[in-house]
Amino acid sequence: MSGLIPLTMREIKKWYRNPTFFIVGLLQPLFWIALFGSAFDITRTAPQYSYYILQGAPNYITFIIGGIATTTALFTGMFAGMNIIWDRRLGPLGRFLASPIRRSSIVMSKVLGATVRIIVQIFILFLAALLIPSGLILPKNFNILDVLIIAVTVLLIGIFFASLFSAIAIRITRQETIMGIVNLVNLPLMFASYALFPKNLMAPWIGNIAQYNPVSWSAIIIRTIIINGKLSQAQWNTVLNNFVYLLLTTLFVVVITIILAEKEIRN
Amino acid sequence: MYSVETYNLTKIYSNGVKAVDKINLQINEGEIYGLLGPNGAGKTTTIKMLTTALKPTEGSAKVAGYDIVKESTKVRMNVGIVPQDLTADEDLTGMENLLIVSKFYNVPYGKAKENIDKLVKLVDLRDSINKLVGQYSGGMRRRLELIMGLVHNPRVLFLDEPTLGLDVQTRTLMWEYIRDIQQIENITIILTSHYLEEVDALSNRLSIINKGKIVVTGTPEELKKSIGVDIVILTFKNGKEALQATDILKTYKASRITELSIKIKSSDFSKDSQTILGILKESNLEPLRIQVEKPSLDTVFLEYVGRSLPDEEGDSDSRKMMLMMRRLRK
Repeated sequence: MSGLIPLTMREIKKWYRNPTFFIVGLLQPLFWIALFGSAFDITRTAPQYSYYILQGAPNYITFIIGGIATTTALFTGMFAGMNIIWDRRLGPLGRFLASPIRRSSIVMSKVLGATVRIIVQIFILFLAALLIPSGLILPKNFNILDVLIIAVTVLLIGIFFASLFSAIAIRITRQETIMGIVNLVNLPLMFASYALFPKNLMAPWIGNIAQYNPVSWSAIIIRTIIINGKLSQAQWNTVLNNFVYLLLTTLFVVVITIILAEKEIRN
Repeated sequence: MYSVETYNLTKIYSNGVKAVDKINLQINEGEIYGLLGPNGAGKTTTIKMLTTALKPTEGSAKVAGYDIVKESTKVRMNVGIVPQDLTADEDLTGMENLLIVSKFYNVPYGKAKENIDKLVKLVDLRDSINKLVGQYSGGMRRRLELIMGLVHNPRVLFLDEPTLGLDVQTRTLMWEYIRDIQQIENITIILTSHYLEEVDALSNRLSIINKGKIVVTGTPEELKKSIGVDIVILTFKNGKEALQATDILKTYKASRITELSIKIKSSDFSKDSQTILGILKESNLEPLRIQVEKPSLDTVFLEYVGRSLPDEEGDSDSRKMMLMMRRLRK
């Protein structure tokens, strides 16, 4: 495993050294907050039903922040796959493959690098949401355990997407191909989920599909905690169920990625 | 014990192309060994198998004493590779690139730093080693690639076309570095090239490979002597004349090499020229151009490989080179 640490460091170095990439990555969550959080406030036309639509959240940003955090993870996770193809095209992959490091460490370094970026982005997202006027309102009894659960959820969804897109990139040699795949899966992942809208606003068929979407799981965990703080037994069960789904699915994707990387990665 | 030894090493690609066909090599320790061949002869495929990037279809090989299939990790620990493609990360400095590679081989930081400093000095990169690789010139990048294959003190170094796309001065300089490295590190170097003078200048022994097979093996001197004759190329006005001349000069082992040119052999053309031209004149033939090639690796190469260029494979190779040169220029 001697390749994992140096290769992950390389990913992180390449990120913060590239000012455009770095700043764009930090601006993106802010745009989400500004555009989706404020401009698209779904309660505007019917403020009297606001409490019902937002499942008890005091405002739309508080409702949607879990969804935005998840979508941020989705978008940044795509880069993990893209970077594998760049390394293949520009040559470094050949050098890595010729060395005695495990093949999976090459791919997992992309996953870890992207996860670090996701965590930084989401941290900034929450910070910005707290600072803006009529932004994120935390419940009274919000505590360190809640922070911890949200942090682990963010970590898992980050690993999930980075790993998924890396696995896709293992045998692909052209950027166009992965861009196409990413564009194809992005929309259903984002909109067939409870990330941006509550289930009761969705057409029943898509609302049903959305419950099997990892984007929904992560959004629900963060949302339930951030709206309620102290959870009722039913809410706690919802969080726990979704957390278990997310954990198992992430583990599954990571294992598949490692197996694929060991067997299939080629220059 | 040989540093590299292969037994009937064969690679057949999934599309049925037999890239390497029963190659047997015995390379001594501390030797610079050249693999010479036209584009698409199977040189790179051979190197890829010996460095465990590809699995052989048949046959086996030992590198630094380890089996390339059963002990591939050990082989990788003990070989250094300077591939045809550039592999350094342009967004990192030369030093960072070297340190990453040394971590792959678990070289402790202090030792890695010491080794890197020595290598950097050896290839005159000291002034630019802390600059981003993206700012390097083509020659500098090649020098960096050369030492990236050496940071872990390998016992066998594979150089795949180390001077592809470089200008003449830089190429000569690279040869000096390669010789120095062999002297100082006392390692076995296996060099592939389609530049004849490169193999002539560097290698102790060489094999000429064509269409996946070893055609001949020996020292450059042995191979030159094996020809032992001048190769004379005569060019005529038209194909009819060339055909006629081939017929007339049968005793000189004449053979058509292009539509207009024929190749003959003469033990010493400065003596034979009168006679040969005399014979031709009798049939009213007069060559437009006479070209004499004294025994050199070029003649050896032409003798064993022939003049025709394999088009298909050549295409992908030259495309690769264009791609690389574009990147070098950037």
